[in-house]
Amino acid sequence: MPIVKLYANLRRVAGVQEISVPAASLKTLLSALVTEIPALESHLFEDGQLRRYVIITINGHHVTVLDTELAEGDQIAIFPPIAGG
Amino acid sequence: MTGWAEKILDIDLTAQSYTTYPLDMEMARQFVGGRGLGARLLWDLVGPDIDPLAPENVLIFTNGPLTGTGYQTSNRFSVSTKSPLTGTILDANSGGFWGMQFKKTGYAVLIVRGKAARPVWIEIKNNSVAFHDAGELWGLRVFAVTERLGQSNNQRNVLCIGPAGENLSRMAAIMNDRERALARGGPGAVMGSKNLKAIVVEGSERPQIEDKDLFKFMLYETRKLLAASPLTSQALPEFGTVVLMNIMNNIGALATRNHQQTQFEGAEAISGEELTEKYLVKNASCWACPIGCTRISKTDKVEGEGPEFESTWAFGAQCGIDDLPAIIEANTLCNDLGLDTISAGSTIACAMELSESKYMDSDLRFGRADLLAPTLEAMAYRRDVGADLADGSLRLATKYGHAELSMSAKGLEFPAYDPRGMQGQGLLYATSNRGGCHMRGNMVGPEVLGLPKLIDRFQVQGKSSFVILHQNSSAAIDSLVLCKFTNMGVADEYFARVLSAVTGVQYDTGDMIKVGERVWNLERLYNLREGFTRKDDTLPPRLLNDAPTEGPSKGWVVQLEPMLKEYYRGRSWDENGVPKAAKLAALGLAGL
Repeated sequence: MPIVKLYANLRRVAGVQEISVPAASLKTLLSALVTEIPALESHLFEDGQLRRYVIITINGHHVTVLDTELAEGDQIAIFPPIAGG
Repeated sequence: MTGWAEKILDIDLTAQSYTTYPLDMEMARQFVGGRGLGARLLWDLVGPDIDPLAPENVLIFTNGPLTGTGYQTSNRFSVSTKSPLTGTILDANSGGFWGMQFKKTGYAVLIVRGKAARPVWIEIKNNSVAFHDAGELWGLRVFAVTERLGQSNNQRNVLCIGPAGENLSRMAAIMNDRERALARGGPGAVMGSKNLKAIVVEGSERPQIEDKDLFKFMLYETRKLLAASPLTSQALPEFGTVVLMNIMNNIGALATRNHQQTQFEGAEAISGEELTEKYLVKNASCWACPIGCTRISKTDKVEGEGPEFESTWAFGAQCGIDDLPAIIEANTLCNDLGLDTISAGSTIACAMELSESKYMDSDLRFGRADLLAPTLEAMAYRRDVGADLADGSLRLATKYGHAELSMSAKGLEFPAYDPRGMQGQGLLYATSNRGGCHMRGNMVGPEVLGLPKLIDRFQVQGKSSFVILHQNSSAAIDSLVLCKFTNMGVADEYFARVLSAVTGVQYDTGDMIKVGERVWNLERLYNLREGFTRKDDTLPPRLLNDAPTEGPSKGWVVQLEPMLKEYYRGRSWDENGVPKAAKLAALGLAGL
């Protein structure tokens, strides 16, 4: 089952750092995630689209296509907009 | 003309005298202020026959036309000199309050020449300049000096060196307002070589603004944009820059144990999330800054500013240390000793690898958090193992027969981003005019954070165009002198408009980028005159040849050669990296 890791203020919003979410695609995973934790929806989505500057990686690689298929054991990291230098 | 303070204060420490004369306003229009103006003046004043620690080297402190106007982040200032660490042209800039106060004294530029016979400190109060005996201050650390000389954020501001600068450590920083730093490249050693302990400023002149209505409008617009951007209104205030630790580790671009790995198993323990939860007291701001990225952190032993991402990484992942309190304490100690945290941490890491490999005999080992503070003390005072480490990783590694283990470019130690996970960053490090530096055009925006748009971090072809644009833009912002975090909410065109409003000189976005390109090319000419060549636009063998064996960056090395060729073409330089005549003419640099 894919594992979702949350970072920065998403942890506070969700109340967890990590959660397993059964899903075959990133799109399904995100849908299930916000169903499980509704408080996350406004931080991840705006008008049905992924919010600008939200960063998602699968096993450390950036993903922008929501239809990306997932495999057992994939680690999905979700970062809200963050910055630094 | 408005905006600029139109005078130069030129101090001769040898004679303990000073003169003032007008700023060349045509030069100011071309180079604006800060880094640009400093580079142009340094070109005239310090040639290739001058040793960085000789009295003939100079320190050039500059502000800009926006400094002190109250525009968001208009607090920063710059110092330019020849670097004792790298031998390249050097500028470093800092925030806090000193820059604003310096502008209020009515000077755009402060040049410090020569060497005092005995330690002195300088007090500048509007038009009066006083030299004071620093005998009782020499040997004191930064915090004590700052307090002793009467630091008061909005009224009287202290800039000084600590023991590291006095002992000519080539990584020594110049500190201002207690814990802000002009750190990279060793400007503190230049100040120490001049027997100059501190510069205190108090001023009352207010910057003049040409178009007050437009300026007010730009203030209002910028305030709205910074408030609307989640980066500047939420991310930076809540977590500071250390929030980058987890994402850089996640993607396999967090340099670890002297760049032996690209992921650190202890990253979570030294992350921004951990810092915020357990050690953060509050956030804080520089003058006229609504962002508030500064951390005030507390452990059982210290409370102070920081740490930033780079400092946390340098004493953390780079040294294999996951003890966040020890890292916070090391950062505070560096501020008090006056040391550059990036170079200090990376030099310790280099010594750790040399020692573990038995090329060097010391107790330093990766993970030894208990040795951070004693080693930093030793470096600042050139004692014991510190005598070897005080002058940076390249001199250290060369002494022990393994120069290739210094993770640096042109002698300046790299920051946290491992370029085997970010190709553009590799090109940036290799071509930065002051050496291995991320602040010359940080590619973390496009290659990692999607700012303004995500690009493939492993792509090689075409990457140079992004690097060139970022380098030019960064040079322009450094010449204004503003904080680059403003750029995360505000586009370059706003800077052009506010500069026009303040000065009455019409700049558009293209003009601003051209200022940056002009500065970049002038810095390049300076380094060429110093004897740097194409062969110095390179990276250590580890980054060019040794691919990570695990993690998301597995199998990647920096593909520097094709990127460099493309970069030279993109900059209109020849195959040796020398700017072509037509390019120099177009930038107004033909006469140099």
